[in-house]
Amino acid sequence: MQIQYFLLLAAALFCIGIYGLITSRNAVRVLMSIELLLNAVNLNLMAFSNFLDSVAIKGQVFTVFVITVAAAEAAVGLAIVLAIYRNRDTVDMEQFNLLKW
Amino acid sequence: MAHFLLETVWLVPCYALSGALLAVPWSPGIIKRTGPRPAGYINLVMTFLAFIHSAFVLPITWNQLPYEISIPWLSTAGLNLSIDLEISSLSVGAMVVITGLNLLAQIFAVGYMEMDWGWARFYSLLGLFEAGLCALALCNSLFFSYVILEILTLGTYLLVGLWFSQPLVVTGARDAFLTKRVGDLFLLMGVLAIWSQAGTWNYTDLAEWATTANVNPTLITLTCLALIAGPMGKCAQFPLHLWLDEAMEGPVPSTILRNSVVVATGAWVLIKLQPVFSLSPIATSAMVAIGVVTAVGGSLIAIAQVDIKRCLSYSVSAYMGMIFFAVGTQQDEAALLLVLTHALASALLVMSTGAIVWNSITQDVSLLGGLWSRRPVSGLAYIVGTLGLIGFPPLGGFWALLKLASGLWTTQPWLVGVIIIVNTLTAFSLTREFSLIFGGKPKQMSDRSPEVSWQMALPTIILLGFTLHLPLVLQSLSLLPTWETLNKDVGLLLMWSSIFGCTIASVVYLSNVIPKPIRFPLKPLQDLLAYDFYTPKLYRVSIVFTVAMISKLADMIDRLIFDGIVNLVGLVSILSGESLKYSTSGQTQFYAFTVLLGVGILGMVVSWQHWGSYLLNLMF
Repeated sequence: MQIQYFLLLAAALFCIGIYGLITSRNAVRVLMSIELLLNAVNLNLMAFSNFLDSVAIKGQVFTVFVITVAAAEAAVGLAIVLAIYRNRDTVDMEQFNLLKW
Repeated sequence: MAHFLLETVWLVPCYALSGALLAVPWSPGIIKRTGPRPAGYINLVMTFLAFIHSAFVLPITWNQLPYEISIPWLSTAGLNLSIDLEISSLSVGAMVVITGLNLLAQIFAVGYMEMDWGWARFYSLLGLFEAGLCALALCNSLFFSYVILEILTLGTYLLVGLWFSQPLVVTGARDAFLTKRVGDLFLLMGVLAIWSQAGTWNYTDLAEWATTANVNPTLITLTCLALIAGPMGKCAQFPLHLWLDEAMEGPVPSTILRNSVVVATGAWVLIKLQPVFSLSPIATSAMVAIGVVTAVGGSLIAIAQVDIKRCLSYSVSAYMGMIFFAVGTQQDEAALLLVLTHALASALLVMSTGAIVWNSITQDVSLLGGLWSRRPVSGLAYIVGTLGLIGFPPLGGFWALLKLASGLWTTQPWLVGVIIIVNTLTAFSLTREFSLIFGGKPKQMSDRSPEVSWQMALPTIILLGFTLHLPLVLQSLSLLPTWETLNKDVGLLLMWSSIFGCTIASVVYLSNVIPKPIRFPLKPLQDLLAYDFYTPKLYRVSIVFTVAMISKLADMIDRLIFDGIVNLVGLVSILSGESLKYSTSGQTQFYAFTVLLGVGILGMVVSWQHWGSYLLNLMF
């Protein structure tokens, strides 16, 4: 077990999240991709706190904060999606291109 | 008193100039209630004053050394410009002639311009001319001569363009200005080039310098050619002669002044610069060539004209041509004598024909005829003017031509031949004009032609008297050759050529042997001369065409290329803004993508040193 594998796994998860973030047309899936990104970050934090800072484990504290903030952010995100849905009757990201040039 | 008059002779141009300024208030826009006549009277008084002053000073200067005045004008680093005046019997004599002729022309104008409201403009311009000419006569500096010549060029523009509501006047004034201006600009080049060689613009110093000057022959030749080009335009020499023809659109009284004196301004400068020209044999031969071509060409063209004023203007060009080759062959005195006799005779001719035009309206000689019995004064004046101009003893022109011809008799006999030919042709053309106007039967236009009023007759008669007395004056000044030194062969040749020309013309035009209007066997040749060798067309296809094309090209380059380059910068900014705005796509995911792309690239750049070389090794 080495730190690199954790980091690589986290990076892979991050990249999958990015891919989902950029390509999804459903707004809820975009929020889900963001969750993936945050979980990839949490993996990193946990790996670092385990291998580099196993005494003070500040990384784990960070992770707790990130999970908390992620939950709050998901709530606000879903609220925004709901608000948009009420107005425009769709959650298709490609229909939300009103603020262009 | 005498001394005082001599010292203040520089006031003569100032009288004329103040007359010119005082005439301005009678412009129709300023003094609206009275007529414009006081403008003329003021100028007459001023001109009379100038004439009296210079006439009084003339005997004082006689047989005296030139009296020089130098007025500092501008002094900057390394350059001291001073207005040098030379008061010699020659310059004062020239002023007497100028002011005298202007006085007569102004009296003539009182009659001629009677039904014209533009006296203020007319008289102030005549005054300006008189001032300029007198200043030129006094001026002993090439630089200030140039300044005056330029002012007179502007004066010519305004005076020819007096009646600017006529389209031909506008084009004539334009051509007169531009043609003379081109000559003047070349003169300016010469004036500037001579400074670097001689270091002075004073004519006396230039003459002194020229005696011992050791200069680059090419340089001095180019300088001299430039100095010739100015007088060439001023004296209406080929190929810068068209303006004088078109300047005949101006009022007659100004033509008196122009034909007699204004064209002589170039000759005056030329004569003054003669010592410099003698440094360059090419320049003198160019002068001779120009003079010969103009003299022969001008007198030939004069024969083929139908316009009473243009008949005379080409003779003026021809006589100025003779002055050109007189100066080119170092015959200064003959040239000056020719200027004097030509001025009087030419002015008399223009006055006489002007008086005819005033009452007969038409200027077409083929529409005039049979005026001799009813217009004796004008006819006599014309005859005396003719005889005074051509070589006919004992009048003035004969002595001038004789002096010129006998000076050339041994050195350049072919030029004597040219003089004889020009004399014959001029005699022919003047007699032709006389026969057409005064001889024959009255035609419709000249059916009822009364003699003119005294304002026009008086100056004509006075000038007629002067022309007749000129030999006596020359005699008293011992300017005539004595019987022993007289070159009798030349004299006889001149006399016979004049008689020959006059006789042929009278036979052709006064008898009924040849049907009128006369057709020359070679029609194209007649047209060629009548249309002045098609000079307007030549100008149009050569210089005017070239300049117009270059201007259009330059305009096009300016509009398309230079404006285009600058506009292109703006256009590119607009286009880039217009096209780059599409990067703001409105898609949140696209923004996210650009953010990540930016972060990714930035991260790569920052960490390049850690893995870049490794990557490169891997690739290559």
